[in-house]
Amino acid sequence: MAPKSSAATKQHATPAPAAAPEASPAAAGNALQSLLNAYNQNTSPRLKLIDAFLVFLMISGVLQFLYCVLVTNFPFNAFLAGFGSCVGQFVLTASLRSQVNPANRNEFKDISPERAFADFALGSIVLHFFVYNFLG
Amino acid sequence: MLLRRAAALLALVLTACARSSTGDSVLVVLDPSLDKDAYSTFWAGLTDKGYNLTFRTAKEAQPEIIQDEVAQFSHVVVFAPESKNLAQDLTPQALVSLLDKGTNLLLALSPSKQTTINTLASEFSLVLPPPGTPLISHFPARDAPATVVPVSPPAAHPVLSSGLPPVWFSGVPFAYTPNPLLIPILSAPAESFAADTSSDSGADAVFESADRAGEGLWAGSSLSLVAGFQATTGARVTFVGGVETFSDEFAQKELPQGKSSGNKQFAEDVAGWTFQETNALRIDKVEHHRVNETEPREMYTTNDNVVFTLHVSKFNPIKDTWEPYSGIKDMQLEFTMLDPHIRTSLPPIPGKAGEYSVAFRVPDRHGVFKFVVNHKRKGWTHLESTTVVPVVPPRHDEYPRFLSAAWPYYIGAMSTSAAFVLFVALWLSGDDREGRKKGLKTE
Repeated sequence: MAPKSSAATKQHATPAPAAAPEASPAAAGNALQSLLNAYNQNTSPRLKLIDAFLVFLMISGVLQFLYCVLVTNFPFNAFLAGFGSCVGQFVLTASLRSQVNPANRNEFKDISPERAFADFALGSIVLHFFVYNFLG
Repeated sequence: MLLRRAAALLALVLTACARSSTGDSVLVVLDPSLDKDAYSTFWAGLTDKGYNLTFRTAKEAQPEIIQDEVAQFSHVVVFAPESKNLAQDLTPQALVSLLDKGTNLLLALSPSKQTTINTLASEFSLVLPPPGTPLISHFPARDAPATVVPVSPPAAHPVLSSGLPPVWFSGVPFAYTPNPLLIPILSAPAESFAADTSSDSGADAVFESADRAGEGLWAGSSLSLVAGFQATTGARVTFVGGVETFSDEFAQKELPQGKSSGNKQFAEDVAGWTFQETNALRIDKVEHHRVNETEPREMYTTNDNVVFTLHVSKFNPIKDTWEPYSGIKDMQLEFTMLDPHIRTSLPPIPGKAGEYSVAFRVPDRHGVFKFVVNHKRKGWTHLESTTVVPVVPPRHDEYPRFLSAAWPYYIGAMSTSAAFVLFVALWLSGDDREGRKKGLKTE
């Protein structure tokens, strides 16, 4: 999770100082609006694709967790598999995002985006193999 | 060769003639003073049933009862109320070791002397009064001495046949402690008591004897006259307060009402029970399997539905065979691991002779379990059976699958995979497009 959050802050940190003086008297909604605008303008479509996937995974994980807490945790192995697939996929995707983000080029000089994607794909396939094994 | 085969066949036929479930050889140990012919009715009854009687006096050493640690007789009758000491192989220890070997004993107590048999009786939870205090009753009015008492047998008793007329008795009564293996067969009449006969001239004698005994008056129906005892080996021993109960004289003696006495039948019933002719049960077979299967499993899974079947036979002394017996209504089955996890009734199956069966669900606990049948009733052979079966949790592929409750999780995992495939497809197509754009730019 750490690389993702640092990447995100870096991503959003760059446009924020430029937008802040313009919206200084505006309300919090305005700040959010400017944040969204900055995100839309300054984020590449590939990162947006990754972010959409991350949001989907988060919603899916939260729904499964709520179902487990509020309805039933039986069979527990199925819950672990379903929830674990969301969490694992989220971690792998977040790692991919930090490695392919142009803003982090300095940190991952020796890892090309193609190499990062291959790592991601292989890791995901292994993850899904275990998930279906455990789903019951 | 032919001769040997014929001899073997003959031996087979001879054993088949036995009327007891354990064998037909009987050793009768008599006092030298006891007239053998005075008991001819009893002997004839036994011989007619198919027993081989061997007579021996109390002091004789031959024939030996135990030879090379093997009991030579299936049953031993000791009618020696006048002998204080018996032969070397009839000491109390020897008699108890005979019980261990499965030999049945019919023992007569002595009313007048402290014999070794009387000593042995106290080892079987019987409490005898001091020597020389026989049973006395002045009721009902009769022309017999006060020590010769007609006793009404209990109306319904597992050992005695029903409708038995009163039985003449002359001998010593005894108290007994509540030993679960002890079966009182004949109780003293309510108006009888134990006292010294020589001074039995009035009510004073009763008080005197009450004082003398030191433990209060030996009187009433709580005293027993004939009691059986079934050892844990299954061997049976019966103590009779007076040997004359089996005599011809008492068998022919008329009751005060003018009817004939029940002594002959009573003697046959007591001997029949003691020699394991009657009330002899055995477990033939124990079966267990899952519902809708026929073969037993090596191990069962938790929550399996299991059928347990028990086959019980009862010895039929008339046909000399073991026959399936469905008459037990209170049989129970326990499924135990340290404690009984399940205790259920094991009812007879209507229409299937001798079969007792029950179906139950194995508890949700794994471990080494036992099917336990432990049926012990007074007067009947104890039925004990223990079958060990391991109960294991389900194997990895035996759990239920595709549960409706788990569908959100299944959908979650599948949607993650689908989203992953979609993501990869979009990524690769986007990569292509960008690469093409880059390529165009560089061009």
